[in-house]
Amino acid sequence: MFSQGGLSLEQAPPISVVLRFFVTASVFGVLLGLFLIADSLGIVSSLSNNKSVIIVHTLALGVMASFMLGALFQMLPVIAGVVIKMPTKKAMVVHLLFVVGSLIQLYAFANASTPLLYFLASAYLGTGLFYGLYLMLKELVKIKDHSSSSKGMIFSLVSFTFAIVFGIYLLLTLGTYVEGTLFTQVKELHYSFALFGWLSLLIVSVSFQVVEMFYVTPKYPPFMSKYLTLTIFILLLLKTIAIFIGVQTELITALLSILFIVYAGFTIHRLYHRKRPTSDATVWLWRLGMGLLIVSMLITLLDVVMDIGLEVKMFSYLTFIGFALSIVFAMVYKIVPFLTWFHLSNQGYMEAPMMHDIVHPKTVKKHFYIHVAMLVTFSISLFMDYTILNLLSGVLVLVSFGWLFYNLIYAIKKYNYTQKYTKKIEW
Amino acid sequence: MNKIFLDARGMEYPEPLQISLSHLQSMSNEQYLYMLNIRKPIPLLEIAKEKGFICFTHQDSNEIWHILISRNSDIILEELLDV
Repeated sequence: MFSQGGLSLEQAPPISVVLRFFVTASVFGVLLGLFLIADSLGIVSSLSNNKSVIIVHTLALGVMASFMLGALFQMLPVIAGVVIKMPTKKAMVVHLLFVVGSLIQLYAFANASTPLLYFLASAYLGTGLFYGLYLMLKELVKIKDHSSSSKGMIFSLVSFTFAIVFGIYLLLTLGTYVEGTLFTQVKELHYSFALFGWLSLLIVSVSFQVVEMFYVTPKYPPFMSKYLTLTIFILLLLKTIAIFIGVQTELITALLSILFIVYAGFTIHRLYHRKRPTSDATVWLWRLGMGLLIVSMLITLLDVVMDIGLEVKMFSYLTFIGFALSIVFAMVYKIVPFLTWFHLSNQGYMEAPMMHDIVHPKTVKKHFYIHVAMLVTFSISLFMDYTILNLLSGVLVLVSFGWLFYNLIYAIKKYNYTQKYTKKIEW
Repeated sequence: MNKIFLDARGMEYPEPLQISLSHLQSMSNEQYLYMLNIRKPIPLLEIAKEKGFICFTHQDSNEIWHILISRNSDIILEELLDV
């Protein structure tokens, strides 16, 4: 992996930096499950107007951004060779502001009549996320010899910056602090930069190194690893200009969809040409994620040329969420056992548990089945509005993130136990 | 010198790091690790150097990396290269 210019697992941050974000993500997921259960039982029916915005932001911010921030703190030194000094303190500041801001924002969506909440949400989230982005971007731009991954990470983080700026505008509009004459346009750009830019670009750029290395696959073709992230980023900038000057953006959306379909196709192809014949559940998660990305983008493409109806559109969003979650789960189940083992082993604990003792492959397989069941139930519930299906979807979200939470806590306990009760050697 | 041979060319990360670190931890002065890999294992090399091991790397004409690591600083690893 690992940029020849200087990986440094030695300089990787302490394990707590990463795990605090991962645990937070799984807790937000559990909260989402509880919210969906409550909603299906009619307990939170008073929030029906803002239900979708609460769900989307719990997922995109609470779950996805937590995972991504944690992974970035860990992977920047490893993939891009950049080091954030004093990572524990800095990550704690970002984490604290981010969590408080996210909770206030969700509460603001639930109590739309309180303008101050919107202001506080934008202040906490803005400060926390901009600080985190500043820490990462200032180191990334210093790299002299960029890899396709480090370049892609810059585009992803700049996209995230755009998404946050637009998001703050939307929050301040909802809080009646600004007039919000561009609300509709900015809302579309906020979603585009957050989903196509920040989230997808980060997955794409990390995959250029991780897929080949974790799964011993053939390399991505150079034209793809060199130009894909740049092209997507340029298209997003063009979309911004087009929206502000009032030009149709269908062509740009179609191009973006085609690019993601091609990327997902290449990734699946690579994963079917691994040197190892056997696959663990993380490979299945990658294949599932890429398959879902293709489905989502095909529907988006279809939406450009014909009227597809609300349910199908919602199915496209669901498959996109499924794509992002599948890849994140695959990454978490690779990162957490590895980090736990690596930190202990490097500290000299000869009895450090091996990776499969920390998170057993069967445990990941169980999560894969739960995840698939959740996606299938959700998909059916989009087209058949039965209370039991909605309830089951909520329960499966709860079980999925609850299972992940349990596995993370188990890894932390193993780590602490090894440090406390086993012998350390100098080597 | 006893060679501990590790062919990591078909191994999925982080298996090569995991196996090689366990070899390094129990390695005597009379042993050295000889590893074949498709990429230069920067993490392993950094850790080995930090722990006081000596390292030698060579990429052959088939783009395979030969990585030699020993605790014994009196030996010349380059002489043990097998290409």
